[in-house]
Parts: sequence; structure tokens; C-alpha cells
Amino acid sequence: MQRLLAFIEQNLFIILVVILQAVCAFLIFSFNPYQQASFSNSAAKLTANTNKISNDVTDYLDLKTQNQLLQSQLANQFKSTGQGTLHYLNDTFVVRDTAFSKPLFSLAPAQVVYNSVHKADNIFIINKGLNHGINKNMGVISSEGIAGIVLNSNANFSTVMSMLNTNMNITPSINGEEYFTELIWNNESPYCLKIKNINKLEEIKVGDLVTTGKSSLLFPSGIPIGNVSSLKKKNNSQYFDTDVKLSTNFRALEYVYVVINHHKEELDLMIENVE
Amino acid sequence: MLNKILQWLLIFALQVVVFNHLDFSSYLVPQVFILILITLPLHLSKINQILIAFGIGLLADMFVSTPGIHASACLSLIVLRMFLFSRLDLKEQQSNRMFFNVKNVGISMFFYSAIILVVFYHLYVFGLESIGAINWVSLLLTTLFSSTLSLLAIGSIQYISYGRQSE
Repeated sequence: MQRLLAFIEQNLFIILVVILQAVCAFLIFSFNPYQQASFSNSAAKLTANTNKISNDVTDYLDLKTQNQLLQSQLANQFKSTGQGTLHYLNDTFVVRDTAFSKPLFSLAPAQVVYNSVHKADNIFIINKGLNHGINKNMGVISSEGIAGIVLNSNANFSTVMSMLNTNMNITPSINGEEYFTELIWNNESPYCLKIKNINKLEEIKVGDLVTTGKSSLLFPSGIPIGNVSSLKKKNNSQYFDTDVKLSTNFRALEYVYVVINHHKEELDLMIENVE
Repeated sequence: MLNKILQWLLIFALQVVVFNHLDFSSYLVPQVFILILITLPLHLSKINQILIAFGIGLLADMFVSTPGIHASACLSLIVLRMFLFSRLDLKEQQSNRMFFNVKNVGISMFFYSAIILVVFYHLYVFGLESIGAINWVSLLLTTLFSSTLSLLAIGSIQYISYGRQSE
């Protein structure tokens, strides 16, 4: 206490100057209209900027939680809509599966922990496995469209065959019509696939929507694959040379959904019996 | 001492009646009353100097309706004056309880200090007055012309007060 008093005594002159200058500042910015307006304006700007920085930081820190929330909301939306309807995040596509009174498919959100796009046979690994009900031969989609098929799973992780894999072969549907052709990746661009053997007589054009069809039990029908980006007529051939621009950006794949078909075994058995 | 107080009152009245109402140009707003602060006795304690500066500043503000601006400028001026005088050899004048004027410290030392203090004061006041929309050219021109006029007035007052006596 004595030291404090001694300090105040020694610096009384400085303390007094500071106090009186503070009084002056109060007088200047309270009773001079122009200075008052200028001070209010600067204070408002400072407050706005501080709030913005604070909000940006808070939003950024909360981003991971928000992403997980969004993922689970999307999966729930798919599960809860009576007709198994998935509204895509960008509202561009609506996928309907009206064949079942209760949903045939449900989605399990997952995060990509490893991803390759520069090899001939690319895969990615997700952070969900057997413990989460994920098993091999399940479809995987992203919020933009189709992503791949689960190759195998261990307790906590699953390896997924990416669409950018030369072994991938999916039967596409173009503009809602089934074409029994093959959709393949020819190890060229990570943004493009090729559709083999589309007859020149078919009425398709550049920009047409390519989706999953009903010939697969891995995906609900209508999941976007991409759009027809090039349609070349080859000489001496009755088929188009067709390129499809992928709707999923595999270079930025982060959050995906594993498609779980609750009746796959029953349906497989039925199809097997018929064949 | 009574003479000195009368002289200060006269300088302040001159400021309020004459210099605050010069309408020749917007660049001419001389603040001659700071001569009171510049010429304060050298033996005064720091606390007293500060309280006097604050009081005179508030008084000056009352006459031009700028609450706080002259008070703040006077406070800063007196702090600069203390700093400046601590670097000058004024021990003899301090021990003899003298005022800081031409007669006691000599013309060169007086004007060396006065020029610095007067320019600083004008720059400070005009800077505070133009907060939020500072026009640097206008600010510097006003400071230059007003400081020059103030220094001329201060020189004249010093000459009238002490020049004749020495003759």
C-alpha cells in the first residue's frame, strides 16, 4: 500500500495530466457537435468491424460442427420423407423412389479421410465402417451426385471405389430413360466419364442429364452422375462417342453419404431366382 | 505580482475582444493568450502549472464555444514547455523565482522556445477542430499564418513590456 502511495506521489503530475486530458476528450466529444458526430461515426465503424471479425472467427470455429449437423440433417431428410425423396443441397435435383411405401434406402454420413484422383484405379477411404453398419457393395454419393461403391470395410473405415476407377461400370439413365450401355472412366480427365455404345439414332443432346437408373440396387434411381458434355458421331460406326461431365468434383471430395439398401438381400434373392 | 496579473488579464482581454474577432481571413486565427502560459514563473511546481493551464484553457473555450479543445491544447502546451525548459539552462532564473520573458532569459532563448510552443499550440488546436475532415493544406496554412501573427503580437507585447524598460 505504501509503495502504491509512493508511486502515485512520484507520478502525480503524469496522472493528473492523463485525468485532465480524459476530461478534455469527454468535453470535446460530448459538447462539440462536429467532433461528436465524427467520434460516433468512427466508433460505429470500429464496432461494426470488431463484430464482423468476431462473427467470422466464431463462424469459422463452428464450421466443423455445422457441417456434421448439415450432413445428419440431409441423411434424416432422406430417411423421413415418405417416398424416399432426396432433395439435393443446391435444389437442382429431386430424386424420388416411389416404389416403396417406406423408404428403401437410408443414408449414413461420412467424411473422406483419403482420396486419390491421379491413378488409373482411384479409391477413397471414409471414416465409417462395419461398426456403423457400412459394408461392401454399398453405394456412396456426395451432395453433388454419385461418388463410388464400397469395396471393403473394417471396423471403423471403408475403402470406396471412386467413379475415377477403370473397373467402375455403371448403367446410366439419360433424361430419365434407361440405356443399357456402360458408363466408364478411361483414365483421362478427373472431371469426365465416357458412355459406350449409344446408338446414333437415340435422341440425346449435349447438356442432357445423366443419372443412376433402376437397374442397380446400390443407388436410388435419379442420383446425378453428370451432364452430356460432348457428343461426337464417329465415321464407320453406328455409335456416338459420348463424354459426361461429372457432377461430383472428386478433387474436392470431403463429405459423402453411404447409401444403405435395407432390402438388398431380399431383392438380390428375387432377381437371382428369376434369372 | 499584481502588475503581472493585470498584464495577464489584459492579454486575455486582448485575445477575447480583438484576436478572436479578426475577420480578415479564415487562415488568421491567432492565439495570443498562450503568452500567459509561456511566461509563467519558472519556479512554479508542475502540478500548479498544469492546473493553471487547464483553467486558462477552459476559460478560453468558454469564449469561443469549443469545450475541451483549448483546455486539452493548453495541457499539452504546458507539458511541452516543461520538457523544453528541462533542456535549457534556466537554473539561475528558477532559483531567483523569475518569469520566463525576454528580459530574464534573453531574446534568442525566449523566441526559440516561443516559436516551438506557438506553432505546436496552433497545430494542435486547428487539428482538433478539424477532426474527421482534416484538410492538411488548409491546416498547415492556418497554422503558419496564425502562428506568425501570434508571434508578432507576442514580440510586440514583450517589446512594450520590457524593451522600453531596458532603454
